[in-house]
Amino acid sequence: MPREIITLQVGQCGNQIGMEFWKQLCLEHGISKDGILEDFATQGGDRKDVFFYQADDEHYIPRALLIDLEPRVINSIQNSEYRNLYNHENVFVADHGGGAGNNWASGYHQGEQVEEDIMDMIDREADGSDSLEGFVLCHSIAGGTGSGMGSYLLEALNDRYSKKLVQTYSVFPNQMETSDVVVQPYNSLLTLKRLTLNADCVVVLDNTALNRIAVDRLHIPNPTFAQTNSLVSTVMSASTTTLRYPGYMNNDLVGLVASLIPTPRCHFLMTGYTPLTVERQANAIRKTTVLDVMRRLLQAKNIMVSSYARTKEASQAKYISILNIIQGEVDPTQVHKSLQRIRERKLANFIEWGPASIQVALSRKSPYVQTAHRVSGLMLASHTSIRHLFSKCISQYEKLRKKQAFLDNYRKFPMFADNDLSEFDESREIVQNLVDEYKACESADYIKWGMEDRGKQVSGEGNTSGTVDSRVAPS
Amino acid sequence: MEGDVVSDLVWQLAVRIFPSGGRSVENGGHGGQKKQGDATLQRAHQYAMRIIGSRIAPSLANDEAAMAEAIKRQLVQENRSADALSFADLHRRISSYSGPGSIENRWALLYLLRAIAEDQRRERAETRGTAIPYTSTLSGAAAHGGLPSFPSNTTHPKLPSFSPEPEVSPGRSYSSRNGTPQNQSWSQSSRAQSPSSPGGVLILTKDDGNAKAAAMREYLEIVQSESDISEMAIVRDVLYACQGIDGRYVKFNKDADGYMIDESIKVPKSTRTLVRRLCEVGWLYLRVKNHISESLENGPLEAIGTVGQAFCAALQEELADYYRLMAVLEGQAHHSIPLMVGADSANSVGNYLSLRRLVVWLGEPLVRMRLMAVLVDDCKTLRGGAMAGAIHMHAQHGDPLVRAFLRRLLRQVCSPLFEMVRRWVLEGEIDDYYGEFFVSAQSVKAEALWREGYQLQTAMLPSFIPEPLAQRILRTGKSINFLRVCCSDQGWAQAASEAVAAAGASASGGILGYGEIEVLEALVAEAAGRIDKHLIQIMYKRYRFPEHCLAIKRYLLLGQGDFIQCLMDLVGPELAQPANTLSSFKLSGTLESAVRASNAQYDDGDVLDRLRVRMMPHNDGDRGWDVFSLEYAAKEPLTTLFTEEVMGKYLKVFNFLWRLKRVEHALCATWQTMKPNCMIARLWSNKEGGQSQLTAVLKRCQTLRNEMNHFVTNLQYYIMFEVLEYSWSNFLEEMEEAHDLDELIAAHDKYLGSILEKALLGERSQLLCKTLFSLFDLILRFRGLADRLYENAREVQTRGDSSLRSKGRSDSLTKSRPGQRKLSTAQLSGDFLGTLGEEMDGVAVEYSSLLEGFIAQLPVQQHVDLKFLSFRLDFSEFYTRQHMGMSTTPIRLHRTPIKMQKPSFGAEPGLV
Repeated sequence: MPREIITLQVGQCGNQIGMEFWKQLCLEHGISKDGILEDFATQGGDRKDVFFYQADDEHYIPRALLIDLEPRVINSIQNSEYRNLYNHENVFVADHGGGAGNNWASGYHQGEQVEEDIMDMIDREADGSDSLEGFVLCHSIAGGTGSGMGSYLLEALNDRYSKKLVQTYSVFPNQMETSDVVVQPYNSLLTLKRLTLNADCVVVLDNTALNRIAVDRLHIPNPTFAQTNSLVSTVMSASTTTLRYPGYMNNDLVGLVASLIPTPRCHFLMTGYTPLTVERQANAIRKTTVLDVMRRLLQAKNIMVSSYARTKEASQAKYISILNIIQGEVDPTQVHKSLQRIRERKLANFIEWGPASIQVALSRKSPYVQTAHRVSGLMLASHTSIRHLFSKCISQYEKLRKKQAFLDNYRKFPMFADNDLSEFDESREIVQNLVDEYKACESADYIKWGMEDRGKQVSGEGNTSGTVDSRVAPS
Repeated sequence: MEGDVVSDLVWQLAVRIFPSGGRSVENGGHGGQKKQGDATLQRAHQYAMRIIGSRIAPSLANDEAAMAEAIKRQLVQENRSADALSFADLHRRISSYSGPGSIENRWALLYLLRAIAEDQRRERAETRGTAIPYTSTLSGAAAHGGLPSFPSNTTHPKLPSFSPEPEVSPGRSYSSRNGTPQNQSWSQSSRAQSPSSPGGVLILTKDDGNAKAAAMREYLEIVQSESDISEMAIVRDVLYACQGIDGRYVKFNKDADGYMIDESIKVPKSTRTLVRRLCEVGWLYLRVKNHISESLENGPLEAIGTVGQAFCAALQEELADYYRLMAVLEGQAHHSIPLMVGADSANSVGNYLSLRRLVVWLGEPLVRMRLMAVLVDDCKTLRGGAMAGAIHMHAQHGDPLVRAFLRRLLRQVCSPLFEMVRRWVLEGEIDDYYGEFFVSAQSVKAEALWREGYQLQTAMLPSFIPEPLAQRILRTGKSINFLRVCCSDQGWAQAASEAVAAAGASASGGILGYGEIEVLEALVAEAAGRIDKHLIQIMYKRYRFPEHCLAIKRYLLLGQGDFIQCLMDLVGPELAQPANTLSSFKLSGTLESAVRASNAQYDDGDVLDRLRVRMMPHNDGDRGWDVFSLEYAAKEPLTTLFTEEVMGKYLKVFNFLWRLKRVEHALCATWQTMKPNCMIARLWSNKEGGQSQLTAVLKRCQTLRNEMNHFVTNLQYYIMFEVLEYSWSNFLEEMEEAHDLDELIAAHDKYLGSILEKALLGERSQLLCKTLFSLFDLILRFRGLADRLYENAREVQTRGDSSLRSKGRSDSLTKSRPGQRKLSTAQLSGDFLGTLGEEMDGVAVEYSSLLEGFIAQLPVQQHVDLKFLSFRLDFSEFYTRQHMGMSTTPIRLHRTPIKMQKPSFGAEPGLV
């Protein structure tokens, strides 16, 4: 009962990061590009069957579904050296191959139409696992397929596999530069609603922050998608190490996520990783100790979510939970000292309405991947400052919505037919609600929040935070 | 060359003393003395030369001051105070003179002068000047502790101990010639001594000496008349008595418990006492002798043992020495001592062996005999090592004689012991038929061989073998036996022979024996080092002890998380059944499937075979959870390490960890029922939900779950980092360093002990542990509540949902018909929510008070450092704030709103 996890890669971005992720997993488990176990990979101790299963000829096949509405990225995967890795039955490309045209509504609608095909694939994968733990969805929230179709799949999964965990790795668009996708705010907002309601855990990968990290931390002037994607794959593989290398604790996704998400709605996690290296880049190798790693993980510059908060608000932001996954040769006794130091220095600010702490999971490092650093760490954290990211989405949406711009594209689809834009309003409402809840988490009285007259609270605070963020945004 | 000078000088001296021939010598000069036919001079010279030539030293302290004092006193006694004064003056002058020509051997000089003066006086007294002065003995001086008598016929100075010689070395004192102060003083004093003797010839009066001799004779007669028997007879009898035989006069007196002269015989009291004293040897001899004969002939062999036999043999050897002495003495007793010339006064010592001489002769044997008797008395009841130890204690004596004697004795006594040690250490055999060895064997089962099979008999441990060494000896032989019996290993023999070779080389063929404790130590060290190393190797390599420890850590201490998870998933439903309905056979099947489903399948088959389900004895009403446990069946010889007791401890730890895991599992399951994308979660989060009882209860449920989860998770982190891993890494280090099985066992026990103690399972943390277990129970109760809540909510949800299906999924929750909602809400609400809410409150209150108690107890624990745990549990200082009373417990806080809402609920238009 390996507690299998099925990965769904939806859309261009989803497939790209998904592919990086599988590359990384293959490396770490000593699986060749064709899915065959390398001769040297005999050390064992790792659990491959969480993410892979074995075909009759013993070669490993990822539990992955590659889904896109246009063939470009998937074709490139199928022409790459990894073409034999995937199960070809698990690849879904829309017949027409026309994509979703960066339109959420199009993606959603097409998803509805091909639901049967895709659910068949999902069912087949689910039936192939002994004790399915859940699904991981890789997508971006800005485009058409990943956001629209991804949203549809979230709802469908939620419906059919209501007891399974649904985790997403959601790439948020780069808001520092003008996107070629002008309707990005619409798409984001609509997707955010599904992420809020239909996902159990959303790992937020902010392209803005990824770019910033690439530029500032890795000194890459103009980071390519491949480079930022490798950051993503690092994070994804690191966050699953405890599942793949079993130890005393944190052996399943539920356990991992359960302690990170105390209240159901605040299930958006930010990540941090250190020390970062991009493929074969001769970075200055730093000394890494547990304390170093844990301290660096708490620094904003290593967080893969940009903070749009003003200083005052930033100081009020609080951690709801933190999980540090430390990989490498670690003396367990160092953990205690590091935690003590962090607490003494008050490097992390925690919520006041409940107990919280930095959890530390120690995990083995793959013996087949040579890294320059002895210790590396990934942080998964639930932090209230993430609400500023959502506020930003709302404010960008409102700018567009005020102008009634580009709405025609959406009206073409059934959901918005007859000029019924209530979906937009509802999504905005829900996202705003989410922002409010995060804000409420910053106060000690969160427990009471929602008990009182919430209507007033919501409208009052919601508006202020919304306007504040719109003004602050470009900083 | 030197001899000539001396001879010359002596000649000059003679010439000066006997002036009759002196002049011609002066005329003749060197070498001319032979022409002088003066016989007197010749003889005097020869005598002096002989004295000088002999190598015998006087038993005198060369104390110049004392000598000078003696001379002065003598002068004063002879009423020559003036001479005494002038002597003192002269002596002072000669002493104070220093520089060239000063005299070094002033003491010798004074002695010589005095001796000559004495001699002359005696000569005068006894021979009235007719006899040649130097033929007389210097016995006068001997009476003062000076020169002994010198028999005139020079044939035999027989008794070696009476060999005098003035300390005169041919040297400066002789080289001084006329005109030196010495010369002056000599001539002066000689003149002063005999003022009336012209030319140095002493005219003597005859009264003094004769009177003394007469008195002596008279005295002897009196003495002899006092005793019925001659000393000769007494001596003979004493010699008999010394051999434990009653003599004619000297008999064993039972009343006095000793040999003594018959009361009826008339002897001087002093003789009686002396005899009594001398015969102590006999008395002691009898004791020793009796002991030996009793031990060797009469007593059962078991009672004496080989060490006892060795002891007797050694005693007998000593006695043989004693017999030899007795034989010599007896021989002496029959020879009379050669009489001195003209010593009619000395016929009292007519026999060479007088009683007084016997005292001297028997002095040392007495000491020995006494020692032996003491040993015999001391060791009568002792055996084996104890006996050797007792003798050793006596050997700690300051007297070198005693020490040497006892050493000799001990070497023999201990030889059987050392042979035993050797065989034990090198062959693992206990060569001990009479229970004398300090290692004793019990017949036990193989798994108890190491711990109970052999014991150190401290009573039998000779005190000269220190305790650590003894332990080492014990362990070495034990290792051999362990290897032989439990491991069926033969490799130790090679190790042992290597050890012998190495020890032999290092101790240069030293033979084991008493006093050679270093040799023993070296041998034991070599043997122990090699055999222990071999044993450890066998344990590590052949029996793979570290692997088994790791396996136990992974399975019994839940290190293999995925396996445990599988097991819990699989076995969980069954364990919820009453304990008496469970079949352990079925559970074993489940265990196997859990192994197959997890990474445990890649583990060694041997390891997996040993993993078993164990059902503990159960009481009525026990659930499967209470009795289920895993056990690890170690095989010989590892059972020596993994004894029942040890496995019992592991079981305790497993049960605790399993329970903790179950609680964690339960909380995760609860989370899953209330997970973010579940319908109910959306239900309450919806803005339309507004104020609702359900919202409140759900929120409570979540925060409470969060608190519990926080507690359980951090407790688990503590268990993992601070307890399991920490102890494990220490254990690994110690395992690496363990040199022998005892150290290995100790390391393992320490490892297990530290886990028990730190996991709060120890004796001293019972209270904490109890609190902890009630916390666990409470959490499980909470889980039941939460499940009921969500089940109910879901039921309502699906009912409401299904009716909305037609409307489309995406907006099913938001766009609803109010009527439908009302119905479902009504069902969910009311009493159910009320009671559930109250129950939840109850759990929350109980939980927070229990937890508070638990946290409060943490810092009070003295024996175990729980800083990490308490600091982790309160990382964000949530509980500190709570405790500070900044707010009453938040759980209590929201108790009120619910109750207030309850009556108003019915009026609510809709829940969602």
